[in-house]
Amino acid sequence: MGEGIEVVGVSRSFSAVQAVRSVTLTAEPGSITALIGPNGSGKTTLLLMLATLLRPDAGHIRVAGHDPVRQPDEVRARMGWMPDILGSWASLPVRATLEIAGRMYRLPKSAARRRAEELLELVGLTELAAQPTRVLSRGQKQRLSLARALVHDPSVLLLDEPASGLDPAARVDLRVLLQRLAEDGRTVLVSSHVLAELDEMATSAVYLDAGVSVSAERIAASRAGLRPWRVRSLGADPAAADGADSTALADALRAVGVPAERISADHLGLLVGVRDEGDAAALLAALVTRGVAVSSFAPAFGELEQTFLDLHRGNRS
Amino acid sequence: MTTYLSGIGTVLALELRQRIRGVAWYVLLGVFVALVALITVLLWLSIGVSDGLGGFLFSGILFFVLLLGTLVAPALSGNAINGDRDAGTLATTQVTLLTTGQLVLGKFLAAWLTALAFLLVSLPFLLFAVVAGGVGPGTIAVSVLVLAVELGVIAAIGVGLSGILTRPLFSIVVTYLAVAALSIGTLIVFTLAGMATSSEARTTTFDVASVNEDVPLPEGVICSPPSVTTYTVPRFDYYWGVLAANPYVVLADSAAGQFDADDQPTDLFTATAVGVRQAQIAPDLDATFDYCTELREEGSAGGIDSGRFPSSREVFESTVPTWFVGLAIHVVLGAGALVWATARTRTPAARLPRGSRIA
Repeated sequence: MGEGIEVVGVSRSFSAVQAVRSVTLTAEPGSITALIGPNGSGKTTLLLMLATLLRPDAGHIRVAGHDPVRQPDEVRARMGWMPDILGSWASLPVRATLEIAGRMYRLPKSAARRRAEELLELVGLTELAAQPTRVLSRGQKQRLSLARALVHDPSVLLLDEPASGLDPAARVDLRVLLQRLAEDGRTVLVSSHVLAELDEMATSAVYLDAGVSVSAERIAASRAGLRPWRVRSLGADPAAADGADSTALADALRAVGVPAERISADHLGLLVGVRDEGDAAALLAALVTRGVAVSSFAPAFGELEQTFLDLHRGNRS
Repeated sequence: MTTYLSGIGTVLALELRQRIRGVAWYVLLGVFVALVALITVLLWLSIGVSDGLGGFLFSGILFFVLLLGTLVAPALSGNAINGDRDAGTLATTQVTLLTTGQLVLGKFLAAWLTALAFLLVSLPFLLFAVVAGGVGPGTIAVSVLVLAVELGVIAAIGVGLSGILTRPLFSIVVTYLAVAALSIGTLIVFTLAGMATSSEARTTTFDVASVNEDVPLPEGVICSPPSVTTYTVPRFDYYWGVLAANPYVVLADSAAGQFDADDQPTDLFTATAVGVRQAQIAPDLDATFDYCTELREEGSAGGIDSGRFPSSREVFESTVPTWFVGLAIHVVLGAGALVWATARTRTPAARLPRGSRIA
């Protein structure tokens, strides 16, 4: 289904501000690609260019096999975009909003009506179908916006912060829905700040930093550093991190050969700097062999979050 | 073609549905009807029941509808595009298969139809005026049509400016200023320019010095030497073209002139048109009033008789109509605003207005 997204050397500036300097990325059909970067790194500008709304200054873009500048209609027919701003026609009912969105994609009236019902069901807004959109909560507007992006059954989905404002249950629903859409062979590009959420669904990730997509080498390099893992043992009360029990765990860590400078504490327990997963497995084995009752041993941050933090830190130092 | 029209229809339906759902809209229409009713009653009382009642009522109501239309239409159309951008709904329509032209035209038609609703609710009063009599069928058809087009022009200027300017409040204000420039600005320019370029005029008068009744007529009248007075006259005849762009003048001038047996106007349109067209006639800068010769030849000095000054009907019939020129200027202005707005709203956008967010 479709050809995914291909971006090579794209840049875009707004008068003095260079929002996107040089972005190169690929998003494959059937995958969920995470677009990650700090505020102001150019995520939204990049998505606007992919969504045929903004003309790039330089570079080459293909969305579903077409150029958004020269063939905007071809792209629009195959691409669904969910903006980061939640605009809706305030006085129109939810159902009518989706029907009109369908009409704007040249669906015949009856097809637009059928499609609206399907989408209401899909995003769980059936009960609110007759309400004007102004009464919707932020999370419900978010779901309406997603439904609108899906109205013409696009093969490429561009989602700008789709999870913000959603409660945990709705986030799980969103994740399941996006995974299902990707399994159908669609290309899904998601930008988000909720990295833990992306961690669970994204099959690949693109990092943006100050308008530049971060190269695979730089990501690999950032991963070569030490990663904090959180260790807790039975009897170690996190509320008494400075107390005797916590000291006992720290002593045990030092005893199995962890240098003291790699051990730190936060309110949840001890953090140990570990080079890679093999290193972590060896450390766990050593602790268990010593008779430490380990109750929790896990990376302190998710994969995407860790890379994001590393890149950000590396950028500032 | 049908796809194109159906896209415009979708935008039109969307815009109208949003407006019709607002309570404010019905309140506005109600206030409007009340005002037109009040004006009808006041006109009726002031004119009294006479032959001219229908004509004055009809034209008075239409003038009033134009006045209220120009006051209401900018507010209803002046934020059509940039208001959507502010609400975050513009970009979501721009990523669909709607073209920018369909979007702008749909919004224009919605604004126009909304303004026409004001004409529609005043129809009962117009009907009453027609029943009262004295309104020519030509006047009914042409003036209602011209008023409808004028409301469309204001809607087009409003929607156009909302696409050209970034801030909704600013574009609404500029729309009002544009309407004011046409309605009041033309009048101010006409008046001031006419006063500023005045000419010196001279009147030569030959009066009768004495009459010897014993001598037969021509010789018995002794003429006094000519008396010459000079004064300045404003030259409105240079600037009458400015008034052609005034929407009230366009509406008045488009109606077929209606005169009574004394060649006096029987409706406000004709009265206005005669007043405006009077300006086309250049003042006589070297007038000679020879009362003496007149007396000698005709036996009576008529003085300033009515035959010397043209009647309203003569003024009307001896001058050129300007309404189609004014209407053409307005239509070009409105269409130009829409074309410019379409160019500014087109995506993918190369250039963004300062401080605007596209989404």
